[in-house]
Amino acid sequence: MKKSRMHLMLCAGTGCVSNGSFRIKADLEQELGKHELQDEIAVVMTGCNGFCAQGPVMVVQPDNIFYQLLSEKDIPHLVEEHFLKGRPVKRLMYTPSLEKAPVPKMSEIDFFEKQRLIALRNRGMIDPEKIEEAIARGGYRALARALTSMTSQEIIQTVKDSGLRGRGGAGFPTGRKWESAASHHSKEKYIICNADEGDPGAFMDRSIIESDPHSVLEGMAIAGKAVGAGQGYIYIRTEYPLALQRLNLAIKQAMEYGLLGHDILGTGFDFDISVFRGAGAFVCGESSALRASIQGDPPEPFSKQVHATEKGLWEKPTVLNNVETLAIVPEIIKRGAGWFSQIGTETSKGTKVFALVGKVRNTGLVEVPMGITLREIIFDIGGGMENGKAFKAVQTGGPSGGCIPASLLDLPIDYERLTEVGSMMGSGGMIVMDEDNCMVDVARYFLEFLRSESCGKCTACREGVDAMYRIVTDICDGKGNQGDIQLLEELSQAVKDGSLCQLGATASNPVLSTLRYFKDEYETHINEQRCPAGVCRALITYTIDAEKCNACLLCVKNCPQQAISGEKGKPQTIDQEKCIKCGVCRDVCRSEAVTVQ
Amino acid sequence: MAKLRPEDLDKITERMKKVMSLREGSGRAKITIHMGTCGISAGARKIMSAVIECVSELDTGDIIITSSGCAGLCSKEPMMTVELEGQAPVKYIDLTEEKVNKIFTEHVMGGKIVADYALAIGSEQAL
Amino acid sequence: MSSQGSNNKVGSVLVVGAGIGGMQASLDLANAGFKVYLVERSPAIGGVMSQLDKTFPTNDCAMCTLAPRMVECGSHINIEKLTYSEVESIEGEPGAFKVRVRKKARSVKADQCTGCGECMANCLVRNRAYVEPAEPEPLELTPGELSEVNRILAEHEGERGSVLPILQDINARYKWLPPGAMRHVSEAVGIPLSRVLRIATFYNVFSLEPRGEHIIRVCLGTACHVKGGSRILESLERELDVQAGRTTGDRRFTLEAVRCLGCCGLAPVVTIDEDVYGKITPQKIVKALDKYPA
Repeated sequence: MKKSRMHLMLCAGTGCVSNGSFRIKADLEQELGKHELQDEIAVVMTGCNGFCAQGPVMVVQPDNIFYQLLSEKDIPHLVEEHFLKGRPVKRLMYTPSLEKAPVPKMSEIDFFEKQRLIALRNRGMIDPEKIEEAIARGGYRALARALTSMTSQEIIQTVKDSGLRGRGGAGFPTGRKWESAASHHSKEKYIICNADEGDPGAFMDRSIIESDPHSVLEGMAIAGKAVGAGQGYIYIRTEYPLALQRLNLAIKQAMEYGLLGHDILGTGFDFDISVFRGAGAFVCGESSALRASIQGDPPEPFSKQVHATEKGLWEKPTVLNNVETLAIVPEIIKRGAGWFSQIGTETSKGTKVFALVGKVRNTGLVEVPMGITLREIIFDIGGGMENGKAFKAVQTGGPSGGCIPASLLDLPIDYERLTEVGSMMGSGGMIVMDEDNCMVDVARYFLEFLRSESCGKCTACREGVDAMYRIVTDICDGKGNQGDIQLLEELSQAVKDGSLCQLGATASNPVLSTLRYFKDEYETHINEQRCPAGVCRALITYTIDAEKCNACLLCVKNCPQQAISGEKGKPQTIDQEKCIKCGVCRDVCRSEAVTVQ
Repeated sequence: MAKLRPEDLDKITERMKKVMSLREGSGRAKITIHMGTCGISAGARKIMSAVIECVSELDTGDIIITSSGCAGLCSKEPMMTVELEGQAPVKYIDLTEEKVNKIFTEHVMGGKIVADYALAIGSEQAL
Repeated sequence: MSSQGSNNKVGSVLVVGAGIGGMQASLDLANAGFKVYLVERSPAIGGVMSQLDKTFPTNDCAMCTLAPRMVECGSHINIEKLTYSEVESIEGEPGAFKVRVRKKARSVKADQCTGCGECMANCLVRNRAYVEPAEPEPLELTPGELSEVNRILAEHEGERGSVLPILQDINARYKWLPPGAMRHVSEAVGIPLSRVLRIATFYNVFSLEPRGEHIIRVCLGTACHVKGGSRILESLERELDVQAGRTTGDRRFTLEAVRCLGCCGLAPVVTIDEDVYGKITPQKIVKALDKYPA
């Protein structure tokens, strides 16, 4: 095997693929061929690098140079300049802001600098479709140790001592869950990996599976050894075709290498993993609904008087863990409980992956130690607000979480603190909102989501969420009444009390948290019939500022209602009768003459 | 594919090391070939191939090969810089494939600078 | 109520509907001394609850709740049951009203019937349903489709709880679930069609009507929402003249709104078939449609 002198780590996560990373790969290979560099330089397709906002991204190793926003037309120049002549191309590097110089090295980019990778330890470092690379980065070592020199009790004790808590949202201590399942005797036991990542705004599970599927498989096998299970299921969303494909390939390779299946590593331990595809139902991320779904039953949650660790899937003891949790487990086994537990806060150990999205400059996946503040995540790693707008709130925890206002930006993040302020850790979605986002509209959005995703089993959730949705929609439409806010609060409590599963029990969080921190916005909608952020359609009007309008007529051409008219060469006006408030005119206007009130 | 035993994991790691160490950007030695237009026309590509050949034969993972732009001394091309961990970089000039082999065995592997081919030890001061 | 304004227990009460609520009301009133007329449209009292297993929220057994009340209603001296009857008109006001009830023909003398069930066992009309099961409706599947569905069924042979994967494969193959295919699956797997339908309607990926050549999915996840995903959807609705969830008349496009495609870093996101369009604007997406021929 001839040694390559340079590796081009091109991101092939879903985000970058959609921006054309496979086309770039083809062009790169062609250009490298032209310069006869194909034997010296290897193009490696890695999993998600995390910096999705700048995709397609590529890291050149060993120089550790980070290129972003690549397009096919950049490739010939890049190959000739950098890969042949060794002159890195500044134009394609990350530039923090206009005044600053480009940052060539990946490790020096603010987005990566503050991160601490455990669950994402192999992102961008390996080709996820090659098991050898995973092994070379330390993969399956923890499994080997667990199988050869640790008892089940020792594994469980290590995980317990580490303080690892479930990364799927609720934060149940993983070690205690395993201990409980281990204590029930049964020939058959199951490990389920929950990859039904339904929270809108979260994609770390997809990213982990796409960039390092073996870490999850290894974590599951270790869990299997710890509780005495021989079969694992991975329940994965059908919306993630690439993750599904890589997962299947990873399982196949691990089986071939004897790292899964019969007699793993010659130790006599058997563990099989099957992949089960979801079919697009949010509630299937709930543990009892997920089990019902695998069993072929209608996926409605049921009462958990008997814990799943005693009677779960097919009535057998079952451990259900989130992807991220399982991906962390091998590192804990390998490096010890003490190493893990020194990271983080008193109650929440280790690191957490957050999907930093919304109106922030650097969107993407970030893994940070627990206890970091929201401000550090949003302003240091995230690079601050997009387009220089003012920060208004950050929504965490998906539909079960809440909105956290600017006054709490210095809040250190852990499970308890987030719950205290009315949100929750959830799966780790972090959606940043600016002054242009209406908080009543955000509450309406989540209610609409939950209304359609409620399975309908519990009346309180089915009808209660719908009733709340209608009230909030009325408020958005300017038909709000005095007393609506109080009614919402009452309904919230009723829905919380009358629902079986966490979907219902937390359904009112988006409303309660926006009411808690942004009550004035609700009141403005109700009392003054005004939407301060200019979002709620019934309460806004678009107008053209005659002084700024340069009569380019772009808005006239694009208006779907032909509501804009005026003399040639003169400022245009909008006919409010015809206007449907779609906002197209504001999007196309180059001189910012269209204003919204 | 035969089923693995625990000790086989180390073997795979060893085998993959030369690939992986590159990505971690760490190595015992770093060899930079100066590949400006002048360097390439003077035969830097051949030098590059020779270096890669040497490293491949050695089957090791701790030597990093990289290219950089013109070093500014076009008349002495092709050139390369050898940098051993913890030591000052050494620039070699007027290279041929034979010279590369010699430098490789004596300096990179043996740690002894080949003074005959060397231009200077240390790098220019950046302002 | 007939006792309005006084404490005298005179007159009688009409309760319409002999479900669990109607029966309990009748019993309470009857025990309080009122004469109760309990009208029920179906031939027997009891209502829907007899079909339930457990009740919300306490998970109590439904029959355990229902049966004692049925027995008590059936034998209570103050309750006159008018089963298989319908209220035709009500005149007057609370306390003084007249009700017309139509009692439908039962063709059985209720006071002489011992409930032995012989008539049911010997009824030709009813029996025929058991002796000669109705021909199953012909499958609306072409031979090609049938063999395709059978192939999918064979792939999942012997898997536990395999209905969902089977339906997913059929849906992937045809982009929707043809009714014939669902019926065939129900027969082959041996679970009732109603259950297959319940699963098919629960999950978002399944469609019960044929879909277009190209499927447009507009992400309405949170990140896309805050970045204007719903406006993208509206512009597509206008452009294609079709509502979300529907297919264009020429079957070229199906427009769907979906929850989070997991590309939040690129919000707002639209996918057309397998192609992902990130950081899209209403103008750009409308232009992109031209790439997808009918």
